Parts: sequence; structure tokens; C-alpha cells
Amino acid sequence: MNTVSLALHHEISQFLYHEMTLLDDWLFRDWLDVMASDIHYTMRTCVNAQTRDRRRSVQPPTTWIFNEDKHQLERRIARLETGMAWAEEPPSRTRHLLTNIQVTPVEGSEDEFDIRLNYLLYRSQKERDETYYAGMRQDRIRRTDSALGWQVCRRDIVLDQVVLTSHNISVLF
Amino acid sequence: MSTTIDFNALVDAKNGRVTPVIYTDPAIYELELERVFGRCWLFLCHESQIPKAGDFFNTFMGEDPVVIVRQKDGTIKAFLNQCRHRSMRVSYADSGNTRAFTCPYHGWSYGTDGALIEVPLETRAYPHGLCKEKWGLQEVTRVASYKGLIFGNWDEGAPDLATYMGDMAWYLDGVLDRREGGTEIIGGVQKWEIECNWKFAAEQFASDQYHALFSHASAVQVLGAKPDDDADKKLGAGQTARPVWETAKDAIQYGEDGHGSGFFFTEQPDANVWVDGEVSQYFRDTYQEAEDRLGEVRALRLAGHNTLFPTMSWLNGTATLRVWHPKGANKVEVWAFCIADKDAPQDVKDAFERSATRAFGPAGFLEQDDSENWVEIQKILRGHRARNTPLCMEMGIGNEKRREDGIPGITNYIFSETAARGLYRRWADLLMSDNWDEVIERTEAFKAEVLQP
Repeated sequence: MNTVSLALHHEISQFLYHEMTLLDDWLFRDWLDVMASDIHYTMRTCVNAQTRDRRRSVQPPTTWIFNEDKHQLERRIARLETGMAWAEEPPSRTRHLLTNIQVTPVEGSEDEFDIRLNYLLYRSQKERDETYYAGMRQDRIRRTDSALGWQVCRRDIVLDQVVLTSHNISVLF
Repeated sequence: MSTTIDFNALVDAKNGRVTPVIYTDPAIYELELERVFGRCWLFLCHESQIPKAGDFFNTFMGEDPVVIVRQKDGTIKAFLNQCRHRSMRVSYADSGNTRAFTCPYHGWSYGTDGALIEVPLETRAYPHGLCKEKWGLQEVTRVASYKGLIFGNWDEGAPDLATYMGDMAWYLDGVLDRREGGTEIIGGVQKWEIECNWKFAAEQFASDQYHALFSHASAVQVLGAKPDDDADKKLGAGQTARPVWETAKDAIQYGEDGHGSGFFFTEQPDANVWVDGEVSQYFRDTYQEAEDRLGEVRALRLAGHNTLFPTMSWLNGTATLRVWHPKGANKVEVWAFCIADKDAPQDVKDAFERSATRAFGPAGFLEQDDSENWVEIQKILRGHRARNTPLCMEMGIGNEKRREDGIPGITNYIFSETAARGLYRRWADLLMSDNWDEVIERTEAFKAEVLQP
């Protein structure tokens, strides 16, 4: 296990919590500023694979749910700003809960770190619609001279559902 | 199941009235499972998803789980995914390759041809003998392919697939037959559930261009290119100028036998605003081949909506093909596939997958808006008064005609509800009829009425 110092772990955790707060507080433009210009933001579908296929590393085909660069994330936020993004009108109330944060230095880099964490995203919509998204995230973050001191340059989101139990995914992870 | 429900009162297609209790009533839903999903040709999967012997793909016909298997001789069979001993599923992965389907409950094992081949402790447990030939998996009565798409049907009396599709095949060819090599499914399947009746989705893809102006306003606004955008703009590159309904030469809706489609006549082979530049360019590059095979109208038709009754829908140009699996009167499960030309270069296939995902996956720029409407409608229909008050389905009524320019079927202007009226009429005809002969008789009578001068 390649651990980092308690101080660095704390700093990175606080950065990740803060970033999630921007989403929960609907400060989407501020959140976008935390995404690096070379961000790759992804989520793939999940499948029920036979155990023997898993053992043999045979991966049944999956496809994208998110596969975004910075421009496309910006367009998503622009969409929310039109006032006609009906899936988020009125906007969902969300709580992003992060846990099991593991930090690993990126080999050959002074200022990049890989993060693996588990998340629970609670979404409440309209009068009483509730959705829970649970899964794992692998981020790569980079120390920069931006406002928060860090930016996210890679985010691979794993959602543990095969059939998504929400009628759409109009929130960000 | 016999019924005392007066479907003629609930679906007055002649005058454009539908009573929304058809979206909520559990008894009607049970009858649908028997008489719609038990009788119609249903899309199962694409041949490209099970290329090798032993490859299987699990799906549903109505609510019945069905496994489709490539046989040793290359043919395709489909089976009810249900052990004959105690009804357990015998195949539980989404897809894969296998030599046998073994029930996890008591170990009965079936070959990929559905035959019961192994019963644990057979001689001790069944001292009088077990006639294994009798207890194979239930085979889907009829399985047929159309240009790569595999369909199944439980009803021996149903018309053959080509007859069932009728003129819809002409519209479907616009996706399936653009190029010599046909099509394939790119990547996996996006699956998500929407708490609404399956008919909202099927009807929208059959008949409803009208919602796009408003429902998808946000997506069109942020994805659309502007006249001074750079030529290499990635999103929206090469789209038709909007609003297309003002600039298009003509625009039609087709609706017959429950199927429906709509599209604009465009001048350039340009796909919709939300596809990647590589996709736009690919359609331009392959235009001549498509035109040679399909003619100008269909080669240019890169932005059309479609439903093959009851539950297979697709969008031209956007590469999304989906099935609306019913899960109760109040719930539908969407399975969305990305379909593209087999002969397209890999980077173009990747672009198709990205574009279909971004626009019409569960997090899609456009897809998000649709489910929101349907979920809210379903909630409103919990009210007694709401679900028993007829809805207005009159758009374009009386303007139906057959065209003389080679575009087949009963048609109308794109902003009409011809296809919706036809869909609900076919749906009611199925529920009211005891067999396919009766269904066809009723549908023909309705068509004659629609086309009366």
C-alpha cells in the first residue's frame, strides 16, 4: 500500500468535499472551473457477466453513459442555464457523500495523484421522488495555481446498477 | 382471457380521442401481455450480438424472460428462460457464450438447442422414468431476422414478419440498408427504467415530432451550431439549419398498422445537430452509396423518428435503436442500442457511439427531457378524473392520404397525429380480437375509414 502523508490526505479530501459541495449548492460554473482543460469524464454501463467470463477476463460489451471533455461538460451546464432543461426544472436536491478515499501518487509526477473512492449520491426531485446512486470513482487530480489549488483531470465513474433505477441521469458525479 | 372492457369507447381514433385509463388499468395491462406482447413480432437482438455458436443474449418478450442462442449450425433459436421443473431462470448473465443452460435450483441442464440433457440423480429421483424429450425449454414459436435484426413471435397465426412490418420496412431500411455490409450493434446496452406506461414512449417515437420544439429546446439551443461557427466545430457540425420545419421542402408523418414515422425532406445529407463531426462527415462521404441503394429521400433522411409496433423505436442519423420493455402498467424499462453501418471505419463507429450516448443515453442531452414528461403524466393519471377524461388526439385529422411519389403508406404532414391514432387503433384491435384474422379485418376497416375522401 503506497500511502501519502496524513496532511496531504487531509488536503486532498477537503478539496474533494469542497468540489462536491459546489454541485450540491448548484454552483455549476464554479464546479466547471475545477475541471482541468484536459478533463475526461466518463461512466460506462455495468453488466451481469458470468463468473467464468470474469475469471477469464472476458468482458461483455458495455457502452458509455458519460464520455465528456471539458467543452461537453460546459454544454451540459449551459443546458441547465437555459431554464428549459426540464429534467432539472425545478433542480434536483442532491447530497454527494464520499468515503473510502485512497490516494496514490502518480508515478513520475510531483503534482498528480490518483484517487479511488466510494460515493453515495442522494437525489431528491419534485415532491417526493428519491434516487440513490452508489458506486466507485477513480479520479486523477493535479495541483494547480487555481482557486482551490487542485483540478480534476480524469474522472471515471462506476455506477453499480445494471438497470438504472432513475428515469434519467441529469445530475453530475 | 375474456374482457368486458369497451375498447371502442376508450380509443375513438376516428374522432381523435383516447381515454388515459389505457395507461393505468392493471386489467388492461394483463390483457396487453397476452394479446399484444403474446402476438406481435418483438425485437430480440441484433445478429452481431451473438456471432458464434453458443453465444447467447438475454432479453424479454413482454415480461417473459427470453434467451436467444446461436446454434451449432449457425441458425438462431430463442427460448423462454424458465426451467420446466420449478420455473427458475436457467441463464442469468446479460450475454455470453455457453455449452449448456443449467438451472441453479435443482441442476436441470439444457443444451443450447433447448433440449433437457441432464437431470441430477435421474434414475433414483424418477424411478418410473422421466420423458426428457417432453421437458425441453419452451421455444419461441417463431424467430425471424430482418437485415440483421432478430424478432420473435409466440403466435402461430400471426402474419409473417415482412407482412407484419408492411410499409414500415421501407422506413426501417433507411437505417439497415444504407451500405453493402449492413449494420451492427456498437458496444453494449444502456438500460434504465422510467415510471410510466410503455405506450407513451412508443407513441412518441411513432408520431410525435411536435414535442421536440419545446421539450428539447434546451438541448437544441446549446448543441446547435451558429452560422459563424468554425467548420471544425465538433458538436453540431454540418447540421441542417434550424428551425427545420420552416426550411424543409416537405415533411411527412407515416402511420399504418400501428407503426409510425416522421421526417423532414432535406437538401443535404446532414445529420442532426447533436452528432459529432465525424458522423456528419461519414454521411456525406457515403451519401452516393446510400442514394444508389435507397433513393434520394431515404438517403437524405438523417433525422427521423420511428416505432415498429409495439415497442421497437429508432432515430435515423443518431444511431439509437431501443426497445420499451413493459414492467407493469406504470413502468417501462428502456434498452438502448447503438446501431451503425458495419463497414464504417472504427473511428466513425466510435463517434456514432459517443453521439448516440451523449444525445440519447440515460444522461443524454435530449433523452433527459422526455422521461421527465412521461413520469409526471403517469403521476397525474393516478387521479380518477384525470385518467377518465379523454385526451385530444385530433392533430391533422382528415388530412391523411396516400402519396404518389413513392413514399409508401398512409401519410400526413409531420405535425399530425395520424401515427398515434393508428397505433392506438391497432392496439385496441389486438385487445378486442381473438385471432389475427380479426385484427387485420378491423385494422383494414379503420384504414378505409381514415382514407375516405
